[in-house]
Amino acid sequence: MDLETLLSYEWGIMTPEFIILGVATALSLMDLFMPKSQSRKILGWVGFAGVLAALVSLLGLIGHGPESILLDTFRLDSFAKAFKLLLLIGSAMVLLIATGYEPNEGLEEFRGEFFYLFMAALLGAMIMSSSGDLITLFVGLELLSISSYILAGMRKRNLHSNESAMKYVINGSIATAITLFGMSYVYGLTGTTNLKEMAGFLTSVYNEQHIYLLGLAFFMIVVGLSFKLAAAPFHMWAPDVYQGAPTPVTAFLSVVSKTAGFIIMIRILFSIFANAPSGDAQGLPMILALQDYVAFLAGATMIIGNLIALRQRNIKRLFAYSSIAQAGYLLVVIASMSLFMFDTLWFYLGAYLFMNLGAFAIIQHVTHKSGSEDISQFAGLYRRAPFLAIAMAIFLLSLAGIPGTAGFIGKLNIFMGALVPSEGHYVLVSIMIATTVVSYFYYFGVMVQMFFRPAGDTGKVKIPAALTAVIGISLAATILFGVAPNIAFDFLQGNFNQFTDFFQ
Amino acid sequence: MELWNLYQNNYLIVFVFLCLGVILPVVALFLGKLLRPYKPYDTKYTTYESGIEPFHDSRVQFNVRYYIFALMFVIFDVETVFLYPWAVAYEKLGIFALIEMLIFVFMLVIGLVYAWKKKVLKWI
Repeated sequence: MDLETLLSYEWGIMTPEFIILGVATALSLMDLFMPKSQSRKILGWVGFAGVLAALVSLLGLIGHGPESILLDTFRLDSFAKAFKLLLLIGSAMVLLIATGYEPNEGLEEFRGEFFYLFMAALLGAMIMSSSGDLITLFVGLELLSISSYILAGMRKRNLHSNESAMKYVINGSIATAITLFGMSYVYGLTGTTNLKEMAGFLTSVYNEQHIYLLGLAFFMIVVGLSFKLAAAPFHMWAPDVYQGAPTPVTAFLSVVSKTAGFIIMIRILFSIFANAPSGDAQGLPMILALQDYVAFLAGATMIIGNLIALRQRNIKRLFAYSSIAQAGYLLVVIASMSLFMFDTLWFYLGAYLFMNLGAFAIIQHVTHKSGSEDISQFAGLYRRAPFLAIAMAIFLLSLAGIPGTAGFIGKLNIFMGALVPSEGHYVLVSIMIATTVVSYFYYFGVMVQMFFRPAGDTGKVKIPAALTAVIGISLAATILFGVAPNIAFDFLQGNFNQFTDFFQ
Repeated sequence: MELWNLYQNNYLIVFVFLCLGVILPVVALFLGKLLRPYKPYDTKYTTYESGIEPFHDSRVQFNVRYYIFALMFVIFDVETVFLYPWAVAYEKLGIFALIEMLIFVFMLVIGLVYAWKKKVLKWI
């Protein structure tokens, strides 16, 4: 390849990625050459500025038509743009939470590492969201996973943190291996790693044996990626990892990493298996023929996540199960495959981002203050810090899906999407309603602690400015998108044109 | 279908090799047992029959720095391995591969700087 072809590529569409990569490199060099005594907090602010710059450059690209460079390994379609927006906003907020994180032990000397590993993880997620090739998808996935393994073990002298990192590495590697095995079958059958070429080739597969192998590949990929989403029955790692990891990392795993998991799932499943034949008489595409299995996964995830959450006393474990349950609701969207699937998924992930990060900012503040993660630490929060208690209550109501909050609109959309197809997913919808009712018990349990239990210590709580900003933004967004959701939907309609260029 | 049979026949050879791999040691050990004389006595059971008497535990602790050094060596060894095919095919790959390679080497240099600053290269 000579210089002209190289320059003829439109590198501009990769600006957000280049910014993140540059910031990650700069942060690692700064950390190395800064004197030991100096606080590493400044790195967090540099990282935050970098994420904001990437966000601005991404907003500048929104009007850009679909474009792909480097033989389709990098593509900028509406799907990529919309979900990168979520990733960047989520990461900016997690960085704010992280700058307010002052653990009692450890992390001090590793704080620099935290920020650039975090940037590397974000870069992986962003590459995944705009990739049209199995190889770059996988590289992005690994960049995200390996960085998060180290992030989970950041508190080097904390046993829980060590345990969480170890479990995460082992479970994550097994999941990755299974996914990769599934991908290798698809590659073996089509002879290409390019998603678009694959789709074209698969429409003409009629051999029974090949279809059988494709089905096998489908299951392996779904199983492997379900680990990343923490969907039941592959959720066992999540509570331990969430509990042991430092709170900002937990927030990152439960929001940004989960969003990335859904991104890669949609990229792979809907690019490859929407075009593969299932071999039955009506010529149904494979993904529709195997829809029930995804629906089963969604149902099991909702039931298991919500029921086990009832028994949790540790707030981070509780939120781990809550996030498993939320992954179940999101899987309902994928299982129902309605016309508005992308919009619904995007809106729910956005709502989830705000309400969960807001809740985690408060959790970090409360648990750090007392050093314990038991739910009873929230007792009498209303007396000590009315603003925190009311904000937390609104986030919990939103997570539970009470009208007036963004979570409600998101759930409503999921219901509509599941009921719109001609045969309707009534069983799935009824499971979702039933488990939502179950979820009220544990969400309201925290609220009972906050409002009706006497306070343990009555000292005034002083909140760091960064955390206040996160809580404020989350609160505003949760209520705004709950009262006027059409702002978000108009934005989607106006800029992304119903994601029609996903399949082009 | 023709191709399919051909494809599966290739696995037949794998199967034959698997059988050979299992049978060979079994037969060899079994024949050895039949042929050799059986005369056990104490000195035969020592670790080194005509060597030095072992005097402490076989597990030895050694400095963890050996491990880190080995890791560093492997990383930079792999880098060299990547550089070779690029250098050989440079004529065909052209300027694009040169830029890619420069980025790759630059990233590895950062890795080296990291190791240096973290005192991996210093032997205490």
